[in-house]
Amino acid sequence: MGVNTAVQTNKKTFGQWLRSRKGQQTVIIVAFIIIPLLLLFTFTYLPFAEMVKFGFYKMKYVGARKFVGLDNYRALFARKDIVSSLKLCLYYMAGALIQIAMALYLATILSMKVKASGLFKGLIFFPYLINGIAIGFIFKFFYTRGFVFDTVLQWCGFQLNNLPYWLKDQSINNWSLVGSSVWRYCGQQMVLFIGAIMSVDDTLYEAADLDGANKFQQFRYIILPSIKTIVTLNIILSITGSLSAFEAPFVITDGANGTGTFFVVMNTIAHTNQKVGLASAMAVFLLCIIFICTILQKLFFKFAFRNMNADDESRSAKKKRMKAAAAKGGR
Amino acid sequence: MKWQQVMAAAVAATMTLSLAACGGSGKSGSSGGDVTDVKYADIKLGEDYTDLKADLKMMTNRTDMLDEGYTGEKTWAQYLEEFNKEYPDIKVEIEGITDYSEDSLLRLQGGDWGDIMMIPEVDKSDLSTYFLSYGDVDSVSEQVKYPNRWLYDGEVYGLPITAVGRGIVYNKRVFSEAGITAAPKTPEEFIEALKKLKGKTQAPLYTNYAAGWTMGAWDDYTAVAATGDGTFRNQKLVHAKDPFSDPGDGTGAYNVYKILYDAVEQGLTEDDFSTTDWEGSKNMLNSGQIGCMVLGSWAYPQVKSAGDKGEDIGYMPFPMTIGGKQYSPADEDYCFGINVSSSADNQTAALVFVKWMTEKSGYSYNEGGLPLAVGDENYPEVYDEFLANNVEFVSNEPALEGEEDTLNELNADSELMVAANGNDKIQEIVEHASNKDKSFDDIMKEWNQKWSDAQEMDGVEVK
Repeated sequence: MGVNTAVQTNKKTFGQWLRSRKGQQTVIIVAFIIIPLLLLFTFTYLPFAEMVKFGFYKMKYVGARKFVGLDNYRALFARKDIVSSLKLCLYYMAGALIQIAMALYLATILSMKVKASGLFKGLIFFPYLINGIAIGFIFKFFYTRGFVFDTVLQWCGFQLNNLPYWLKDQSINNWSLVGSSVWRYCGQQMVLFIGAIMSVDDTLYEAADLDGANKFQQFRYIILPSIKTIVTLNIILSITGSLSAFEAPFVITDGANGTGTFFVVMNTIAHTNQKVGLASAMAVFLLCIIFICTILQKLFFKFAFRNMNADDESRSAKKKRMKAAAAKGGR
Repeated sequence: MKWQQVMAAAVAATMTLSLAACGGSGKSGSSGGDVTDVKYADIKLGEDYTDLKADLKMMTNRTDMLDEGYTGEKTWAQYLEEFNKEYPDIKVEIEGITDYSEDSLLRLQGGDWGDIMMIPEVDKSDLSTYFLSYGDVDSVSEQVKYPNRWLYDGEVYGLPITAVGRGIVYNKRVFSEAGITAAPKTPEEFIEALKKLKGKTQAPLYTNYAAGWTMGAWDDYTAVAATGDGTFRNQKLVHAKDPFSDPGDGTGAYNVYKILYDAVEQGLTEDDFSTTDWEGSKNMLNSGQIGCMVLGSWAYPQVKSAGDKGEDIGYMPFPMTIGGKQYSPADEDYCFGINVSSSADNQTAALVFVKWMTEKSGYSYNEGGLPLAVGDENYPEVYDEFLANNVEFVSNEPALEGEEDTLNELNADSELMVAANGNDKIQEIVEHASNKDKSFDDIMKEWNQKWSDAQEMDGVEVK
């Protein structure tokens, strides 16, 4: 009998359960989580799944679709223009590394005691605030023969005849474009680094000063270990970002004259040539590359920073302490 | 719980009401279903329907003409004023749309757009679901010169607001100072002329490479101007075997593109093609720093007004002679389409208005376009040299039945995009000519290969 009543009390009606504290909790949790999940699903995963599907079709935006299996992926590797556009990423990756080194350098200097550091920060950060399209137009004129850049170089004593055509010469035009993107994003990264550096405890610098550490040693042993997470993050973001470089080549050169990056070529194939299937395959392929790059970088940084896990204690000091402890324990 | 239900009901009610309001405002004249049986050709302007009462709504891409300060000949308000002198009871309300090509498609699909619109890029097979037919092509073409743009199943669904010819904008003063008295008529003569200009201007021919679409403009000369044949673009090109090979007589697409290649290779264009500037080039041509640019006649007034030497600017036919005669394409601008679901009265009134705009308003003349009505030979001054040289204007005939989409398919599969924003391929001509890393014949061979691959892929018969 007792068992029976227990079952009955457990078997509340659905309405009762809904009104109970536990039921309300569940309802709230589900209600709160379902909206973001639904949005995420409808606007991210569903379109993405559709895009992966498109990659297996020969199709335009409108009209009939034809299933072609892996033909688009085969075409992707067979086409010289796509493969060579991927190589251009190397320029942007090199640019990204230079950019991070510069940003780190400037951030370190500006977070030490510098006069008018606020002004410098503002000036260096300013390019990031300008619209990317406007930057494109600025640099188009900047690199035009005999315009800004050439004039400045002529002040420095260069002869116009010895200067290359910055956007026409295919051996140099990609560097010109990379330069414009470094100019734009350097300030933003610098600000991120400054933010990270400010979280370092000031007393550490004082202690280091007392111990006679110079500025470089302070950077090497105090600043860099403290902000290594943000450095890693920035490197990963800029390397993956350089794989999908788009704005500079699209606006400045329209992707012509050997400056068409993977994204620009993809855009042309999708929108001018209306080969949506091939473009989707390219997008999936790019995603795979980005995954691989990110994983490789993660592994690399795990390896590179393996020694930096012991906070502010040097390895030798740690060894000594362990030894001492061992000796104590042995006695 | 109750309170929530009330709220939900209230929200739902407001939404329905606002939807109904949206639907109601636009369909003022719509009584649904009944279609006017009046045809374009039957209307006699100034005699029929002068007492017809209707309120029309029209959508236009020419927002600049709604502005009082429009620098052209006449504003919309002025055209409407003239129209209302003859038809006092047909009121036309004009709505300007800035991003026309995209927004008009959305409005068209929404169904709430008024009575007359400039037909956006729709499939020809869908024309009859949206637009009223002006009548069969034979009856319309007795009165209008260019009814082909929106022709489907023998019925005309769109009439152009204007049509433009294509030649070369040039600086007359610079040409005559270089000793060029007669306009060149063949590619060789044209290259010779550019050579004479070298040293007298910064760029005898300005490519406008960087803008992209200005390069794609070269495609527009490869059909009528290069063959004299109105059926080439939409009927023959799709079946042509190696359309980019040299016909040997200085005509055809091959020789059009060769002008560009030769000019760049021989240094007859600007110093640095990668930083050309379209807006600035208009003024440079006006002041004589540039010799000429290959652009449609719409560019002529812009170049003329881009500086204080407007009187130096001329417009010459494209330097290509086919069997002793020069040709210019007559390319239709946006076309008037009439809403098939408007009321019969509104449709009749719209037909009257379109007919008046086409034949009586002088719109095409005022905007520098070709005369549209049959029998009208009143050309604006931009075509003076075309008339003097007896250039024939030919419009592209529509594709054959069942092949309406073939050109689009071949264009997409070959990625050449002839006359469909295929800017990259022409930019490549400039690059290869400048870097001297690929001969012109090799480029054309590559294009022929792409074209025949696409023909094979799509199963198009090669004749």
